[in-house]
Amino acid sequence: MKKIVLSILTIALLIGSAYATSPVQINAFSSRDLAQGSTGDDIIELQARLQYIGFYNGKIDGKFGYGTYWALRSFQEQYGLPIDGIAGSQTKKKLTAASSYDEKFVMDNLKKGNQFTHYGGKPLSSQVKQGGGGNENVHLPSKYSEQDLKLMANAVYGEARGEPYEGQVAVAAVILNRVEHADFPDTIGGVIFQPGAFTAVADGQIWLTPNERAKEAVLDALNGWDPSENSIYYFNPITATSKWIWSRPQVKKIGLHVFCH
Amino acid sequence: MTMKKMVFVLAYALIVVSVFAFTKTTENSKLSLALSNQYAKKMADASEKLDELDSALKQTLLFNNSDGSQKAREDIWRLSSDIKSSVASLPLDASFSTSWMNYLGRIGNYAKEADRSVEPDEYYKVMSQASKNLGVMQDEWTLATAGLVDGKYSMDEWTNRLNATNPDVDWSNMGESIKQYTETDFPLTASESDAMKKKELKNIDEAKVTQEVAVERFKTVFPTVSNEVIGVEKSMPGSPYPFFHIRFADGESIGYIDITEKGGHVLSYLSERPFGKDSLSFDEIKKRAEDFLVAANYKDLVYEESRENSTAWHFVFVRKEPFYGAKVFSDVIHVKVAKDNGDVIGLNAAEYIRKEKLHRQSVKKMDWNEFFHKDVKIVNDELAYVENERLEQRLSHYLTVTRDEHGTIGTYNVIVDAETAEVIKTEKLN
Repeated sequence: MKKIVLSILTIALLIGSAYATSPVQINAFSSRDLAQGSTGDDIIELQARLQYIGFYNGKIDGKFGYGTYWALRSFQEQYGLPIDGIAGSQTKKKLTAASSYDEKFVMDNLKKGNQFTHYGGKPLSSQVKQGGGGNENVHLPSKYSEQDLKLMANAVYGEARGEPYEGQVAVAAVILNRVEHADFPDTIGGVIFQPGAFTAVADGQIWLTPNERAKEAVLDALNGWDPSENSIYYFNPITATSKWIWSRPQVKKIGLHVFCH
Repeated sequence: MTMKKMVFVLAYALIVVSVFAFTKTTENSKLSLALSNQYAKKMADASEKLDELDSALKQTLLFNNSDGSQKAREDIWRLSSDIKSSVASLPLDASFSTSWMNYLGRIGNYAKEADRSVEPDEYYKVMSQASKNLGVMQDEWTLATAGLVDGKYSMDEWTNRLNATNPDVDWSNMGESIKQYTETDFPLTASESDAMKKKELKNIDEAKVTQEVAVERFKTVFPTVSNEVIGVEKSMPGSPYPFFHIRFADGESIGYIDITEKGGHVLSYLSERPFGKDSLSFDEIKKRAEDFLVAANYKDLVYEESRENSTAWHFVFVRKEPFYGAKVFSDVIHVKVAKDNGDVIGLNAAEYIRKEKLHRQSVKKMDWNEFFHKDVKIVNDELAYVENERLEQRLSHYLTVTRDEHGTIGTYNVIVDAETAEVIKTEKLN
């Protein structure tokens, strides 16, 4: 009897130890397939895992761009998987088994605005460096940067936060139309800070913290939407003092703003 | 006793307020002085560079062969760009600075493009006239900015003079003169004119539709929207192409759609609403976008790329022309699909309405091994029509290439004219 109890206890202890020492990799990733253009926490996990085993050397930023794509294809090639650059269930399973991911450590550091010098393979303290991180959870067209998004969101919020969504997209589109127009500076910063161009710059409201709605509106404009119909000016007819602005050909009124060429 | 205390407190408060006011005034004066110094410096820089620009421009007129003037032409491009940048950051009359920047940009571009697209005699004629006009503008500029450059005016005085009803400097007249110079010296080329017409959709030669037909078109393209139309307005008289602006509400959604009066084409559509939890896969969402396009009768498009954001996916589709099977990147449609239920919440078809006029071109056999460095690997090569710097649609090799950059793979899009092998664009892809 004693022997049986001893055996049961030994087996239970062995199973318990095996369970306790195995890496926590259950429920890794979300269920969706991860492909180029995707963003989010599961892309952070994908990049971190690929970096952990030496396939990815880029920034862990949660954006599935070309860097992640080539790294994933190399992983698929080396592990005998179909090479398609998409992290489906089979790829995710193999990757989870081959790598380790400390979600709390990675996410905490990204939230603090730190970035990884290299994730995995060395003491945790030497894997990150302070600053340089801090990303928006967005995927922008190649020609725009997150700095552009932030600056434009500030301008849109300062200029048009009380306006309908369409009006906010239109203000963002006017900024982009000016960048493309020969009569204005060639950069987003140049256009926004051109003396006298925007009231929000003159009265400091550009430095208010923009809300998600303003950011979303800018995102739509950066992705090509232009409810202003190619306008390069707008004004509020109730408060406008410049005579000249009234001489511009008017296209459309959205909320309190008249958009013109 | 109380009276004494009050007097003391008041006197003390007065002293504190006075010290604060004095400090503030001094600080403001210092800031104002620093700002006017900065502006004065930029104006002086611009004036100096105008001299250099004039000199570079005249130097290019000495040669028949464009090789002889290459350095001076590069200087024209650099200097005009520098002056443009200075003008952009100066407090000047809006109409003047916009015309001035346009003129400077055109001088720079003309000089840059000269060896590729301009005959020497034509160059001489255009730039001789531009040099003369630039001389006139240079004198006017020096006079107009003298007050700030010489420290005669404070920032406030400068701004007041700029905004005065009858300013001492006739900025508006200067702006008009430059506009005339632009029109005479650098008229729009045929390609620029075509590009502008397309953008402004001026020349749609289709019948006008009524407001009711426009609303019906909206209901046909977006049948799932309940179409509680809040209002329909016609575009204002200054619009180069008339359109209907339709605003609608649908439960918690509110949005707009713009439809051209000629032909009843959708320009753009956006809907805003609170979003729920993501529930669909990328493939399902992409299929919704593709099905929507087919149902809306946009049938000659192919998928190009997609970008995920917090609440929606943004998709890009481009037209594929049948002869070469080439993508036409100027005829593009953007679709925005919600991640929670797959609804199409945005459509931008403005650039697709008037399709580009495409010309057949010969396709030169390229030796890519000779063209690219040996480290470069071509991962995709397809034909596409792309607009070059002169705004012409050119059949091109649309290449995706990679290169090992110290352990990471850099990916680039390189567009090469299929006939002339001119590199139209190189872009780093993220």
